[in-house]
Amino acid sequence: MTYHATHDVDRLLASLARTITRLQPRQPLPPDRRRGPLRTHRFGHESDPEAGGSGDTAEADVLAAVRETAGDVHERLGHDHDVFAVELLGATGAGKTALLESLLGDEGPTPFAGERVGVVTGDVAGTDDADRLRALDVPVVNVTTGRDCHLDPERVDSALDDFDLDRLDVLVVENVGNMVCPADFPLGTDVRAVVVSPTEGDDVVRKHPLLFQVCDVAVLNKGDVAAAVGADVQRMADDVDHVAPETPVVRTSAETGAGIDELSAWLVDRRRERVHSHG
Amino acid sequence: MHELAIADRLLDRAVSAARDAGAERVDGLTVELGTATHLVPEQVAFCLDAVAEDTPAEGATVTFERVSARGECSCGWHGELETLAETVAGVPDRRCPDCGAEVELTAGRECRLKTVEIPEAPTTRKTDQTDQT
Repeated sequence: MTYHATHDVDRLLASLARTITRLQPRQPLPPDRRRGPLRTHRFGHESDPEAGGSGDTAEADVLAAVRETAGDVHERLGHDHDVFAVELLGATGAGKTALLESLLGDEGPTPFAGERVGVVTGDVAGTDDADRLRALDVPVVNVTTGRDCHLDPERVDSALDDFDLDRLDVLVVENVGNMVCPADFPLGTDVRAVVVSPTEGDDVVRKHPLLFQVCDVAVLNKGDVAAAVGADVQRMADDVDHVAPETPVVRTSAETGAGIDELSAWLVDRRRERVHSHG
Repeated sequence: MHELAIADRLLDRAVSAARDAGAERVDGLTVELGTATHLVPEQVAFCLDAVAEDTPAEGATVTFERVSARGECSCGWHGELETLAETVAGVPDRRCPDCGAEVELTAGRECRLKTVEIPEAPTTRKTDQTDQT
């Protein structure tokens, strides 16, 4: 059987070959790419006059630029429109949407009673989360990321255009279910809350230490099923203390309502702090 | 995999820096990558290779310099952080070695284009160039 490689496969293989070559110790450039000695254009602090940069890190540092954009979003929400913003992160199935339903619902304690709440949901595909939250009669903007495994501050900024921010008190951003990539992409919210559940394994915290380090609270959800899946919630809590000593831990169950009051109280406190810090 | 989004952003910066310097080509980049990020050098390199095709940076070499996480604590301690023993990727241990409190990071979150290598003399585009087959 003759195999006809497509152009795309050829390109990918060529790409792969070059990448493998590049990961070897540095080779001299092939003759066709060597036209006299190279010059080096430097960025940032050690900038030479021709760099033309202000030495501003965001100019050369792509992650610093992401954080700067997140800062702009934060400014737009908090400063321009007095909106308190919360991000929910965690794996698919951690219970982010159910937790949000508990926080926004009519039953039991709610941190945002009488407030106008809007939600941005990020998903790779579909509108399942958005549909569930719309059923609670809150405005929802669904961001379908397609290729990307995380929301970024630019996408959140675009989503904000679909709200009347002057008629909003609180914004909740539910990120794409993922415990890796969002760590590098803050969105400009006041707080980042990571949600994990025993069904992910009680070693889930130690497997994702960076995420817990960038978040402001760790929510250990689905406590009611821990025994059924043989998970030790105490071990998860201890791991949070180990990798992120100052990140508070809240144990909840969106199913039974346990701990929702504690999470509500924490959110209310954070909100008060923001009001004070913004004058 | 968010390296593709990052590679796109690095490429834009490298190409525009080269153009600003009067070069039409990027021969190499050096990127400082912090250990307190979720970016994997090999994946960033692979993605850069893919997004650089048909751009002035096609075939450019990429060199990474890892930046260790550093921090400072309210108790006065500052320095390079240890890594969490059980992580292979060298995630920093955020606990202050002196008092145990959580330290603020002062380095380790970089993904910074440090240098771009460009040809010595600005290349002039020849209209009769037919070395591309």
